Amino acid sequence: MIPFNLVRAESLEEALDLLDRQPPDVKIIAGGTDLLVELRSLSPREKGPGIVLDITPIDELKGIEDNGSTITIGPLTTHREIAASPIIREHAPLLSTACSTIGATQHRNIATIGGNVINGSPAADSVPALIVLDAEAVFKSKNGERVSPLKEIFVKPYRTDIKEDEILTALRFERLPEGARSSFIKLGRRNALAISRMNIAVIIVLEGNTIVEARISPGSATPLPDRIKAAEKILIGNEPSEELFRRAGKEVSGEMINRSGIRWSTPYKQPVIAALTTRALREAVEKR
Amino acid sequence: MKKITLKITINGRKHTLRIDPNLRLLDLLRDELRLTGTKEGCGIGECGACTVILDGRAVNACLILAGQCNGREVVTIEGLTGKDDLHPLQQAFIDHGAVQCGFCTPGMIMSAAALLDQNPTPTEEDIREAISGNLCRCTGYTQIVEAIQAVADDN
Repeated sequence: MIPFNLVRAESLEEALDLLDRQPPDVKIIAGGTDLLVELRSLSPREKGPGIVLDITPIDELKGIEDNGSTITIGPLTTHREIAASPIIREHAPLLSTACSTIGATQHRNIATIGGNVINGSPAADSVPALIVLDAEAVFKSKNGERVSPLKEIFVKPYRTDIKEDEILTALRFERLPEGARSSFIKLGRRNALAISRMNIAVIIVLEGNTIVEARISPGSATPLPDRIKAAEKILIGNEPSEELFRRAGKEVSGEMINRSGIRWSTPYKQPVIAALTTRALREAVEKR
Repeated sequence: MKKITLKITINGRKHTLRIDPNLRLLDLLRDELRLTGTKEGCGIGECGACTVILDGRAVNACLILAGQCNGREVVTIEGLTGKDDLHPLQQAFIDHGAVQCGFCTPGMIMSAAALLDQNPTPTEEDIREAISGNLCRCTGYTQIVEAIQAVADDN
């Protein structure tokens, strides 16, 4: 592996100090399941980070808090912890499902939700779930705090707008309202240890038998994570039905092509993302 | 590249070591401490041959820097038993013919051991889930699942 120095930060302040002093030379490591593969793939002639900054000892970046309306997740919380969390299972079950589909046991035990977000992969499984939860990202630097809707931090695949002197310090979202139903479905090349070919996160809120709110976000379908408002509109004000869910699915696949263009994978992805959307909506309604 | 100090407990023994900062936990175990029971297969976290138990949880030793394990506790296949006797999982793998070429075996057994520590009475589905990050190219999965199930049944 290419040479670098390792700094183990014991506190957030210590980490922010280092980032403030020599930002371009520092790469942050948390779970390391993406970063170590990346660093090992660099040839000795390429320039790696001078310093790898280990933030895993920082306790204030870990854990899940629920203040009764807002749920805050520390970025160092592992996928295993989120998948198993009673708070997440009750108030944002689709995020628990999404995190339980990531990698294998060995990855979920160390990989973190902050890493999944900041790595910026279009195939990240936690991201579509966080997008339909309308999550916010909180960043800190020596100069203060910045809060951004999660959706807006993604600049292009594998690139977020995090500044060189910033650390992601929290992800937060409102509890799902009463009567909300949600679903997350991942499609990989196999069931275990697969990177998503595509995934889909949906939330619908019913009043009586009428859909009053809908949020849909497909993963690995568009260059940047987003909700598909046109498909959501089709659902709102209507009663759940197979025909309605098929129309919404078609709208998602149409919007995927609008945003991503016709690509080599389109003949496969177009019908499949529509079917996944329909299936997720059906599953959400049937679940209680 | 500045060497760093690492305090780590491996198989119950405390070590204080001076190591290179770019050393993976896998390199530390195999190259520095000669604990070669832990295997390197893919080196990118896909095969599970390097699975060890870190603070009670199964992890891939190829995906974690040794320097990130300061103050933590690692158990490898060598640490599963006393000097002479086999761990029940090791004996069960032999009894059920769950070892063919043997390369995946240490990782499989560590994943199984982590599972049984957390959940002494797993279902077959739990077992399959727990070893889903471990590849066996001889494809002896049925015997492996049976071996783990046999140990669970004794619990």
